[in-house]
Amino acid sequence: MKIIINNTSMVPVYEQLMDQIKQEIIDGSLKEGEALPSVRNLAGELKISALTVKKAYDKLEEEGFTVTVHGKGSYVAETDRQLAIEARKKAVEDDFAASVSKARSVGLSDDEIREMIEIILEDPQ
Amino acid sequence: MIRLKNLQKDYKDFKLDVSMEVPEGRVTGIIGKNGAGKTTTIKAILGLIRTDGGEIEVFGKNPGDFTGEDKKKIGVALSDTGFCSVLTVKDVISILGSFYEDFDETDFKDKCKAQSLPLDKPLKDFSSGMKAKLRVLTAMSHKASILILDEPTAGLDVIARNDVLQMIRDYLGEDQTRSVIISSHISSDLEGLCDDIYMIDNGRIILHEDTDVLLGKYGLVKVGEDDYESLDKKYIIASQKDSYSYTCLTSEKQFYAENYPKAVVENAHIDDIIVLMLGGNNK
Repeated sequence: MKIIINNTSMVPVYEQLMDQIKQEIIDGSLKEGEALPSVRNLAGELKISALTVKKAYDKLEEEGFTVTVHGKGSYVAETDRQLAIEARKKAVEDDFAASVSKARSVGLSDDEIREMIEIILEDPQ
Repeated sequence: MIRLKNLQKDYKDFKLDVSMEVPEGRVTGIIGKNGAGKTTTIKAILGLIRTDGGEIEVFGKNPGDFTGEDKKKIGVALSDTGFCSVLTVKDVISILGSFYEDFDETDFKDKCKAQSLPLDKPLKDFSSGMKAKLRVLTAMSHKASILILDEPTAGLDVIARNDVLQMIRDYLGEDQTRSVIISSHISSDLEGLCDDIYMIDNGRIILHEDTDVLLGKYGLVKVGEDDYESLDKKYIIASQKDSYSYTCLTSEKQFYAENYPKAVVENAHIDDIIVLMLGGNNK
């Protein structure tokens, strides 16, 4: 498992952690039934609070990526990978929808929005 | 595991009045200026001072009613080792061995070796870093379920501090039900270790928050004077006027980042929070 926490990012640490574990599950580096590290150990390794790790684990469970066996720990759930990828696409779509409504609220026309997206897409990262 | 309710202690020119709770498996930090009441709180939890009101419960008991068995469940490191300075680590080992059945001599020696603490050098010749490490190792030596550490990293260089913090993390990793109370005035030490933090000033708790929330939601908002006037101060906890701008502490940095594109919104470190809470004009 590879996890990198950015302490200067405005993205909350638990979200960073969640996203990275999700990614590992989706691309298959974390396999079904595999145990996640214990909350305290992961917190110690990443030098973050155990409550932060717990929050990330709880949310992962809520979204169906992991299951928690009480007293034993968290395990990667048997998820439909296709479903997980769909869920991520949906999240991106929601972000786009939010940006578009923001753009419209400041008075940009649809053509201007398209143009803007074209420019962003042309930028090679 | 530990519960304080309006614990009071009156000194001539200082009054302590704190409430706090430390559940099982929690790492709680107490942070504050020198003389804010951190050590007094810790001493009260240990039953080392008489209190003037309020309730203290440790394992459901008042510290005054502790039996020897209860005390064995607590590991303590105060500012001084309490061991005579002519003793060596070897002497300390035989003392600890006769106090605690759960003392693990091999493990203790291994850990001393790992921290390069010499076994037969008198403690008076130890550096302050070595003494600090010995204090923490001593507190952990009998597998206590609660560790109470008063300023374990004070006066240490960054490498030694890191070693001490890692020792605490290892201890927690061995058994998830262990709890730690740790006080410090070096907040960066607590940021990466504690689950929640109590900020204490002048005998009172002025802030109690999960570290996750402090680092994830609290932030600094920096604006010019004209923008400051129109700023919605709903989530501003404290603000400070500098020569060229205002710096405000918020508990909802996302709100300002989204609604005030001209304002600079930054992550706050616990040090920033302390400085603004104690030095800023609290509204």
